[in-house]
Amino acid sequence: MPMKFLLSAAILLTTALLLSGCGDSQDQGNPGSEVANLKVYRHAMDQAPTSLDPVQAANVYANFIVLNAFDTLFSYKYLARPYELKTNLAAAWPEISADGLTYTIRIKQGVHYVDDPAFSGGRGRELVAEDFIYSLKRHFDPASRPQGAWLWSGRIVGLDEWKQAGSDYSAEIAGLRTLDDYTIQIKLIKPYPQLLFTLAMGYSAVVPREAVEHYGREFAIHPVGTGPFRLTSYDTSKVILERNPNFRQEPVDIEFEGYDPQRHGFSGVAAIDGLSPPLVDRLEINFIAEASARWSSFTKGDEVQYASIPNEQVDQVLASKRPVTLKPEYAEKYHFAAGIEAGFVFQTFNMDFPEFGYNEDPQRERRNKALRCAINKAYAWEQRNESFYIGLGKVFPGIIVPVAPEFDTNLSTESITRDLAGAKKLLADHGWTPENLPPLVYGTNSSVTARLMFEQFRAWMKELGYPTEKIILKRFATFGDISKAWKESRLPFVSKGWGLDFPDAENTLQLFYGPNGSPGSNDANYRNPEYDRLYELASTMLSSPQRTEIYHRMNRLLIDDCVSITGLARTRIYLWHKDVIAIPDREIVGGFFLRYVDIADTEQPAITGSVFR
Amino acid sequence: MEILQYSIRKLFSGIPLILGVTLISFVLMVYFGPDKTYELLGKNPTPEEIAEVRSQLGYDQPFVVRYVDYLRELATLDFGNSDSTGERVDALLARTIPVSLALTAPGFVLGNALGILLALFAAYYRSTWVDKTIMASAVIGMSISFLIVIIAFQIIFASSYGLGWFPVRGWSIGSIGDYFSYVAVPTMATVFVALGYNTRFYRSVLVEEMTRDHVRTAKAFGVPPSKLFYKNILKNSLIPIITRIVFSIPLVIISGSLLIESYFGIPGVGKITYDAIISGDQPVLKAVVGLTAILFVLAQLLTDIMYRAVDPRITLK
Amino acid sequence: MNTVAITTVRRESLWSKAFYKFSRDRTGMISLVFVLFYMLIAFGVTLGWLATDWSDVQGGKWEGMSTTYWFGTNMIGQDIFSRAIYSTKTAFEVGLVVALIATAVGAVIGAISGFFSGTWIDEVLLWLMGVLDSIPFYLFVAAIVFAMQESPYAMHVAMISTFWTGSSRLVRGEVIKLRGLEYVEAAHAIGVSELGIIFRHILPNTTHILLVQATITFVAAIKSEVILSFLGLGVKDGMSWGLMIAESSQEVMAGFFNNFLAASVLMFGLVMAFNMFSDALQDALDPRKVS
Repeated sequence: MPMKFLLSAAILLTTALLLSGCGDSQDQGNPGSEVANLKVYRHAMDQAPTSLDPVQAANVYANFIVLNAFDTLFSYKYLARPYELKTNLAAAWPEISADGLTYTIRIKQGVHYVDDPAFSGGRGRELVAEDFIYSLKRHFDPASRPQGAWLWSGRIVGLDEWKQAGSDYSAEIAGLRTLDDYTIQIKLIKPYPQLLFTLAMGYSAVVPREAVEHYGREFAIHPVGTGPFRLTSYDTSKVILERNPNFRQEPVDIEFEGYDPQRHGFSGVAAIDGLSPPLVDRLEINFIAEASARWSSFTKGDEVQYASIPNEQVDQVLASKRPVTLKPEYAEKYHFAAGIEAGFVFQTFNMDFPEFGYNEDPQRERRNKALRCAINKAYAWEQRNESFYIGLGKVFPGIIVPVAPEFDTNLSTESITRDLAGAKKLLADHGWTPENLPPLVYGTNSSVTARLMFEQFRAWMKELGYPTEKIILKRFATFGDISKAWKESRLPFVSKGWGLDFPDAENTLQLFYGPNGSPGSNDANYRNPEYDRLYELASTMLSSPQRTEIYHRMNRLLIDDCVSITGLARTRIYLWHKDVIAIPDREIVGGFFLRYVDIADTEQPAITGSVFR
Repeated sequence: MEILQYSIRKLFSGIPLILGVTLISFVLMVYFGPDKTYELLGKNPTPEEIAEVRSQLGYDQPFVVRYVDYLRELATLDFGNSDSTGERVDALLARTIPVSLALTAPGFVLGNALGILLALFAAYYRSTWVDKTIMASAVIGMSISFLIVIIAFQIIFASSYGLGWFPVRGWSIGSIGDYFSYVAVPTMATVFVALGYNTRFYRSVLVEEMTRDHVRTAKAFGVPPSKLFYKNILKNSLIPIITRIVFSIPLVIISGSLLIESYFGIPGVGKITYDAIISGDQPVLKAVVGLTAILFVLAQLLTDIMYRAVDPRITLK
Repeated sequence: MNTVAITTVRRESLWSKAFYKFSRDRTGMISLVFVLFYMLIAFGVTLGWLATDWSDVQGGKWEGMSTTYWFGTNMIGQDIFSRAIYSTKTAFEVGLVVALIATAVGAVIGAISGFFSGTWIDEVLLWLMGVLDSIPFYLFVAAIVFAMQESPYAMHVAMISTFWTGSSRLVRGEVIKLRGLEYVEAAHAIGVSELGIIFRHILPNTTHILLVQATITFVAAIKSEVILSFLGLGVKDGMSWGLMIAESSQEVMAGFFNNFLAASVLMFGLVMAFNMFSDALQDALDPRKVS
């Protein structure tokens, strides 16, 4: 019978293919699928890093892995807030010359790289001071496709010249050399108060030259470092790291790390006092783009152990927003922490556009300022906060973010308060009518959220009297494209977010420093001589009340010029399973807490067997 | 011998196609694709740094040089390293293609097998209620967007609002059980969407054969229906059926299923390709486009040879 | 001229027969009514009678169904029902533009290719079709969308440039068949130019195929729009079912189904009606089609 024949053939074929499919997929399953009672921590993030090479550790996603596979000279204390630096690879605090220009840094002895075929004999050799010099030089060698040169360019004696001379690694640099195998000396051109912060960033993590040369471009997926973990697998859906068995013994002093029983007692982190990191055997970092998928994976119980609450779920999960408390059924199962991000979102005009910014005609320039201020007044930050940030974001004036130590608590909130009548009046007083208002091209990425933000903005502008057809959406399908448009100064109106690289307001104030104009980070192309003068003045000052005062003046200049509509710092609510002993944090560089994560010993079978979830 | 000669000739005649595909795609990606430069820059770049990155990416070379490079890469099947992760492109494909195959194969096979089966039923019981029900369902299936099916199936089978039987997303395979649980929802979605199209197509092929004169004549002469069905109808229908299946294979292998992979977060070649499109990762795109073209030429050859196996009257010319 | 008269008669009988057949087809007629109803909505939106408030932000966040907001509101308080209705216009616009142009381009190229079959012209055109069919669809579409970032019609162009090959191959086959027919040879013999033969005598006899093909392309375009919009490559400004579904993909896991349901039900209705209309049309027009 034909039917039967076909049917059985189909079934046979299906089975065969299914089986062969299984065979394939087994090969690339979890390495070391569950043998013993391993302690596994499964983290979830919204995006995968593209490169694990420290010279490309440009974002929090990359740093999560880079800071755990590699080591930096300095690091942040686990729990102390505001953030405080501590030594990591450095053996002690640097000796700084009286003029603030020479830093002598001694590093720890006996620190070994993980074993890797890149080393002769396959055994990880000892890390020496020269490795640090090499690692920093890589940022000035175009062949390594570096992204962190802006942190040290124009700062270290001889470094830029070394690059101009062709990045020859055998050539010495006067301002960046070793005194012996364990001593580094850095000579600065002018004082650089943020230097030590940059040495805590993933960019400055120390790499061995052998591995870079052995793997070539693939070093970006084969990290070989001295960090607490070593990478065992990496793809766009997850990274698996395993404990580095050779990691140096450094018992945790929980008091030193900033433990405060009031703030941290609930999490049980006191229990790790005296233990030597890393505390888990395996670290899995899952990359799950959709918040809702992260959430369902989290609440399933035996998948990821950490998540933030998706916008859509907030009302189901939270009992109250101020302060943040969980509903009992969630509080029973999960710990949580709520904190303001070390960064902010803001929108800015591009002053290079004569329609909105600088103009040869001083009269028009004045009118432009009124226009910018009117749009700022018509902007409803609280509504934006409610729609997109659960109403929990912290709206603040200016660009010194709340997490920065220099945050100005006395600043007037006028610039973030909606005043539609005032805005309309401002327009009318300066002769703006629906007919003569310039078209506003709103450039943004192509995500659904970005689009809704645009529609919300357009609706506010409609209320201001800005004709709907004059608020024009320009979408960019990729980050590269929108970034190009920013760098080439092609957008009059820029929506951006910025995450702090280090806890110092300089990091956001530089966003409006004239010489940083496009293609630099000053997308606003704001050029105010007074602002620039203050910036230069502050840039060589160590943290002090005088410097903070200068920062505050710069901040007020920006607000008075209505350059930016700013800003909002998002509140992040993290939840984690109660068997995880940790205080997670992804701010500043991100990921440095992972070595302190422990898993409670009351193991359920589900945790030991991660095979099926 | 004849087959070998024919194959070689046929492969050579596929060269214009490969040239055309690579040229058009390369023009599109070089002149119109996203500019990778701006993804590889630091937060505060200088114009010199921008120029350096462009030169690292080879963007400062003339088009012709780059295209000839591409052809050389295609000939040696060595596409270098991805511009995003630095991973070797061959390693990247070797890692992701098996995932996509394992993911799409069950849906592809089931979709076609069930489609043929339903088409047989419908054709066999032509114009009865069986036929009408099957065809009406096919139209309904065809009218629902793939995206809607994926979202709906995820809600129904994997979320806490529905049955919650399968993992919401991901791909973490340690055993056969894992495999089935991860592949279940994607497979159901693929089959659901493909079934309507397949059934209609196969039915129309079968019906066309059934109404041919020689079949009518044979019927009139009292050839038993089952024999008629098997000997005349099925055999002659095989050619279009094979063509359809074989020509779907290159896309199944190389394109994977972009939607499924991105929605379910599966690290297959479809997702990799899409990420490469979005980020302008030219080495990966060059490999994917080139290999797809080669597979199309091979598919053409394969169908020609299979035609002959099915019907010896067809000669290879 | 004699030959022309013959073709005209042939065509007229085909069309009048088809019309008669179609009018007796109950499913076909019902689906046509549905399609016309949707078309009316699309017209209403175009003329500014319907769903003018689709982009206004009036309500609260994720309001449920109510008499004010029939399908509730979305994340920023927009009326989902208005947005779904407005999207009907987008669907028609995308569908019609793509279907008409793709079919027309396909018809012309297919006719030329078929008429010159066996010559280098045909070879080149076949090669072009083969090449376009072998480039991965999303790569092609994405490239065109990137290339035409400024234009709101980038997606249309992308779809047209891939969809025309289907019609082209069909027309080519038909033309090869027609070319051998007596009346074409006759036209040739009495000195009608080649272009004249193609456009005056051969193409008109493929209209029944083109009509059916256009309806199929229409459906394909609407369905592709959804996926492209979801991927961020689709509709630039305005609203579409694809954008609504993309919006909803973040919400459904949290139990907000309104966006998803509104867009998918409306879209399913139109696509289903169009598919059935297309089938009925095919039954009526294609004398060889057996069902």
